[in-house]
Amino acid sequence: MASESTLAASTSAEWIKFRTVRSSIMGVIVTVLLTVGLGVLITTLIRTHWSQFGALRVATFDPVSSSLRGSLFAQFAVGVIGTLFITSEYTSGSIRTTLTAVPNRFRLIASKVIVLFLTMLILGEFVCFAAFLIGQRIYLGVVPTASIGNGTVLRSVVLAGLYLTLLSVFAFALGLILRQSAATISVYVSLLLIVPIIGLFFPQNWQNDFMRFEPSTLGISMESPFAPSNTFGAWSATLILLAYVVGTMVVAVVLFQRRDAGSNQ
Amino acid sequence: MIKIDHLTKRYGDTLAVDDLNFDVNPGVVTGFLGPNGSGKSTTMRIILGLDHATKGQATVNGVRYAELKDPMRSVGALLDAKAVHPGRTARNHLRALAATNQIKRSRVDEVLDFVGIASVADKKVGTFSLGMSQRLGIAGALLGDPGILLFDEPVNGLDPEGIKWIREFFRALANEGRTVFVSSHLMSEMAVSADEIIVIGRGRFITSGSVNDLTKNAEGTVLVRASDHDKLAQVLTSNHGVVRDANDEGLTIGGLTSDQVGTLAFDAGITVYELTPQRASLEEVFMDLTADAVEYGHRPEPAHGE
Repeated sequence: MASESTLAASTSAEWIKFRTVRSSIMGVIVTVLLTVGLGVLITTLIRTHWSQFGALRVATFDPVSSSLRGSLFAQFAVGVIGTLFITSEYTSGSIRTTLTAVPNRFRLIASKVIVLFLTMLILGEFVCFAAFLIGQRIYLGVVPTASIGNGTVLRSVVLAGLYLTLLSVFAFALGLILRQSAATISVYVSLLLIVPIIGLFFPQNWQNDFMRFEPSTLGISMESPFAPSNTFGAWSATLILLAYVVGTMVVAVVLFQRRDAGSNQ
Repeated sequence: MIKIDHLTKRYGDTLAVDDLNFDVNPGVVTGFLGPNGSGKSTTMRIILGLDHATKGQATVNGVRYAELKDPMRSVGALLDAKAVHPGRTARNHLRALAATNQIKRSRVDEVLDFVGIASVADKKVGTFSLGMSQRLGIAGALLGDPGILLFDEPVNGLDPEGIKWIREFFRALANEGRTVFVSSHLMSEMAVSADEIIVIGRGRFITSGSVNDLTKNAEGTVLVRASDHDKLAQVLTSNHGVVRDANDEGLTIGGLTSDQVGTLAFDAGITVYELTPQRASLEEVFMDLTADAVEYGHRPEPAHGE
């Protein structure tokens, strides 16, 4: 039933919808400002204070992940983009218009996820490469730098962009489950910020086991050339995050298929 | 055509639609009438595949809505005019809708022109009045040039000119052989815009037929002005009459024909000054039909109590 041409049709419609609302455009601008702008700020601060760094900090210094730190702020912006892409359909009621045009619900979500994933992948890779390259430029001559020609470094920058992409799709799946912007963003921020804080109240050995599963810790693993202690390696972290996203999306799609779309509850 | 077959919808404990059966045929405007909360919108949402039926089914052109390929080319619907992203322009909203069903872009300008909002096509929908939103919703419904059209309470928010426009528009669509299904809670509106009417209340089918059929079957009353109203009322009530209203103008009598009232008055020696049979107004017919089926609002006391 869902022929390729109709998936293409609904995907092109979702692309029109994505780029014709201000919230998406603002989200993209904020993501750029946070990743690249904060990257410039952080790397500049490191450069100016470099002479005061102790021997241990110099020895463990990582020019790659330090230039990508802005992405840990941008993860909230990409979460809002992913959330609003679906919850605005519910808050405005336009989900009903959307579903009368595309009654195949699986195809509708597939179209939205394709648009979101590709857009955010391009955006995520763009901002992470920009932050990395500008950061190394700022470090040049004072702070040790990394070269993108190094395979491990390249992996870190690419996975940093993928991290932002996967998080926006994760927020989208949460939004499809919760169907409310405020609720979704609250849950999303809680998972990224509050859960790590709660983790601090656990005994140290639990913390070590538990914290590395937390999404933003996975993000740090993904964007670091060498895994920090008590964390997963970059590829394992990527797979775990992917499992979160796919798992949440499966729940969301099953609920979406079963629920009525006419009334909001 | 639309076919509703033993359709039942339950939300938790509430039975929103209770075993509905009816067909909506092409070539006429079919009114879907019922008080607020009677299940009209639910039925329309199920027709469009938005809500799942608990039992039974609704089909369009013989298949479930979800099975239609490019559904906007078969069915156009306007459920809720405000159900549009407020931050998107009217043109972009329609362009996205057109893209889903592979409708060519020039059609967007056509429908914008047709509903008369071309001049505000690049304004954000959030700035639209309800009347403009209704027109945008109608434009969306027409994009695929469908043979079946559904409108849920379309006259809400329209100014008199808009109401006149939409009535003529429904008529024109039906004359082109399309199926036009329009819901309303206003009998008077349906009386002028619909050919056939389906009445539901509390999710249940009440009656259907042409506007004339419905009023014909309804009880008429008789207005009588006479020399002794008290005595006349006594005589008539003891002969199965019911006094619906009594004032200086006379008595309004139900349950008897004007012939019967006249004969009874003559036999009792009462002089009759005026004797007028009164046809029930459409609004009264509707109130009678749905009196037991009003979910919200007060229930009228039985008229005999007066």
